[in-house]
Amino acid sequence: MCLHGCGILVQVRDGVALKIEGDPTNPDNLGKLCPKGNAGLARLYDSTRVLKPMKRTNPLKGPGVDPKWVDISWEEAYGIVARELGKVRADDPRKLLCAIGDFQRIVLWGWPAVFGSPNFFTSLGNYCGGSYHPVNGSVDGSFAAINDYDRCNYWIQIGSGDGFSSHLHLSGSAKRMADARMRGMRVVTLDPRMSVAAAKADEWIPTLPGTDRAFVLGMAHVLIHELKRFDRKFLRDRTNAPYLVQDDGYLLRDEEGRAMVWDTRLGASQPWNAVAPADIALEGAYEFAGKRVRTGFQVWADVLLDHTPERMSEICTVPAETMRRIAREFVEAAQIGATVEIEGKTYPFRPAALNYYRGSQSHANGLFDNLTYKLFNMLVGNIDVPGGHLGVPLDHRGFFIHEGDDGVLKPEPHQLHPAPAFKYPPDSTHLMEWFPIGFDAGQLNTETLLEPERFGLNYSPEAMMLYHSNPLWNLPETDKVEKIMARMKFVVAIDIQRTESTEWADVFLPDHTYLESYLLNCLEPPAVTGHSLRQPVVKPVGDTKDAYEILTEIAERLGFRDDWNDLLNIVCGFTANPKYLLDPEKRYGVEELWDRYGRSIYGDDKGLEWFKEHGHAVRYRTPEETYLPYGKLRIPFYFEFIQRVGADMKEKFEQVGLKNWPLDNYQPLPFWKNSQVIEDGKAGYQFYAITFKESLHTFADTVVMPWLSEVSEKETVHGGILVNPVTAEKLGIGTGTWIRLTSPAGSIEGQAQVVEGIHPEVFGVSNAITRHFVTNDRQKKKGSHFNRLLTGSMLYTDSATGGLESSARVRVERI
Amino acid sequence: MPAANISALGATRKMLGFSRRRVEFERATVAELLRGLETLDGRSLYDNLVCEGRLRGDFAIVVNGLSLKSDQLNKPLQGGEEVVTMAILRHLHGG
Repeated sequence: MCLHGCGILVQVRDGVALKIEGDPTNPDNLGKLCPKGNAGLARLYDSTRVLKPMKRTNPLKGPGVDPKWVDISWEEAYGIVARELGKVRADDPRKLLCAIGDFQRIVLWGWPAVFGSPNFFTSLGNYCGGSYHPVNGSVDGSFAAINDYDRCNYWIQIGSGDGFSSHLHLSGSAKRMADARMRGMRVVTLDPRMSVAAAKADEWIPTLPGTDRAFVLGMAHVLIHELKRFDRKFLRDRTNAPYLVQDDGYLLRDEEGRAMVWDTRLGASQPWNAVAPADIALEGAYEFAGKRVRTGFQVWADVLLDHTPERMSEICTVPAETMRRIAREFVEAAQIGATVEIEGKTYPFRPAALNYYRGSQSHANGLFDNLTYKLFNMLVGNIDVPGGHLGVPLDHRGFFIHEGDDGVLKPEPHQLHPAPAFKYPPDSTHLMEWFPIGFDAGQLNTETLLEPERFGLNYSPEAMMLYHSNPLWNLPETDKVEKIMARMKFVVAIDIQRTESTEWADVFLPDHTYLESYLLNCLEPPAVTGHSLRQPVVKPVGDTKDAYEILTEIAERLGFRDDWNDLLNIVCGFTANPKYLLDPEKRYGVEELWDRYGRSIYGDDKGLEWFKEHGHAVRYRTPEETYLPYGKLRIPFYFEFIQRVGADMKEKFEQVGLKNWPLDNYQPLPFWKNSQVIEDGKAGYQFYAITFKESLHTFADTVVMPWLSEVSEKETVHGGILVNPVTAEKLGIGTGTWIRLTSPAGSIEGQAQVVEGIHPEVFGVSNAITRHFVTNDRQKKKGSHFNRLLTGSMLYTDSATGGLESSARVRVERI
Repeated sequence: MPAANISALGATRKMLGFSRRRVEFERATVAELLRGLETLDGRSLYDNLVCEGRLRGDFAIVVNGLSLKSDQLNKPLQGGEEVVTMAILRHLHGG
């Protein structure tokens, strides 16, 4: 039900699963479980689960239209799917549009690629990780990041539920966070709403959505220009901050292409690796061949000159003095210069760190948000050192570590796929070829599929695969998504329960739940590494199948099972140990696949049987794996490569005659820049609207689970559209008043819930309020579909990463 | 004569017409090994995968578990290596 796969134990009696508990031997979740984990039985035994393959008998499709499902055999279902997808593949495989949301079995995500379609989007990742993952990968080869629970003493939390209600491996992280707070760690949370992380913090600082960066830029100004306290040694020796930058934004290089630094002893520029560290200038402007050059650090310091707390305060509404105080507390807690010995090795010790996630960076300038938070952490030298801000690898393989240019770690913005090459006309409908340092901007489908000629697309998808994905709920601009789905000649759904989107399907192929299927899972582990086994604890409740088996059977019938095996060989990492390679001529069952997977990683004696007996192979990451895993390589402070990629894209767009494609976010350093959301405010959309989640739910997928929706009902924050009492009084709104929020994209309606814990300019909409397609009565008409307020166009998309703006400006009226 | 085990995946499998084979070689670099592998179109695998001396960006070669950089085709082979050739699926993505 979420990405991270906690270790669990299930009590089973007479073939019936009775209770789920955390596995105390698994250091990932430390025996703990979140509400979703406890409620797994409610999905397994949900009376509304789809337990047999079904086909639609009503040719009409539309919102609220009954598909008139009838049960069919797997043979008939596969026959229909193979016939219809076979026609598409023979015509043009790009015409298959795939929305995939199974974040545990990401090894299956390559299925569309071997089908031949570039059109795979998750409909979710563009919100959360669109800008986040590329920046983590570019800084230290990580996929995510988290502060050091064990050693941090001062934790700034911005727009994130880490350790409290969401994100990385919550069950274990909540325990680690609680332990840290018990030993005295101070938590300061910046959030428009009194989230769990804010309620449990030592201090909650309410701010406006999408302006967190202004708060942090203001604090960076304080550290550099007012307190003049930052970790000079770290910046000079461990980053490229001292490398000299020309006024055109590119690094100064010698004839051999080596980046130059300023040698304070010689008073001249020298190659970065030809100067003793103590003689390298971190700050300053110098002259080279009659032209000004500045260190990368100096360039950002100059950018920050006018980012004063007073100016930033006007943007984010946080008082300037609060910025100054938090900045001072932060730098004092960071103990710049301190070291700590761990297992015989001495590391820098920086027990203060800023942590962040979706709420603070899922915005139209998300690249700048992420860069700002990373650079702020770098100012106190806390990246990947004890107490600080630690990279989290994608999986068991650890950080992506390759030496790049000039002694700097090679930026790895792409870890789930190769960097896409520019192409015009584009192949993909979400234009992945136009985001060389970004993720899949799935939200752009709402524009490209309805106006393909605007983007040079020379075909239109005619079929759709929905695999645990609900684009009608998760994408912005639902009305447009409905138009897109109405154009599909054939839709196949692989899922567990019916959703808003699967009601548009022609065939429904029911998947096992996680309590009926196999998987070795290791994804975004913060403090640990290693795989936990998912295995059947009961026989399948219905006539369902494992998604791997379903996709393999379709591949078999369409004649590309050999390529499917080869794809799995690559994504499962069997290429590193060829004796485990799948034979392209042979079909493998799901148990065989995971057996090979386990043995290929842990050795011949640790196949599926070993995991069945032991449950997991999870262990704590060693200090060497956790702290400075890239050794002496520097990390980027000045992101020249982003500017270079932007210039390259500009040239390519000009070559094909596309002159207006936005490229303005390809900048080497972050600064304050208004987004379209700010501009919408000037156009009369007075308030902000945000959505939020708690540990109860993932992706709104779990909202239909009766146990969880019952818990949600008892929480005031899920009782309606949150509004501050001051604002409520001005608008004549009370709890229970029906109100309408209208953004430039659309409107939603719901009952107001007046609460103190939200910024007066913000309206909050829980993701736990409702779903339109209900499988139990508890979700009916309690609230609103927030994503209708969002816009999927480039105006609301980060032009470099493809990350989506997830807040909206709204007008509010009583209805 | 030294020999390496070749595993060919995806497009390279279709070029060569086999998925796994033990191949003997005389001159001991990856480049020479590729030159000795004839594809179904009559050219060598080297000619299919290499452009101006560098491995094309849409292919990858793994030797004993380590992926070669595009300019490492002159890596010497001793014999007994496990060599995997594959096309990179540009469309393998998501997030």
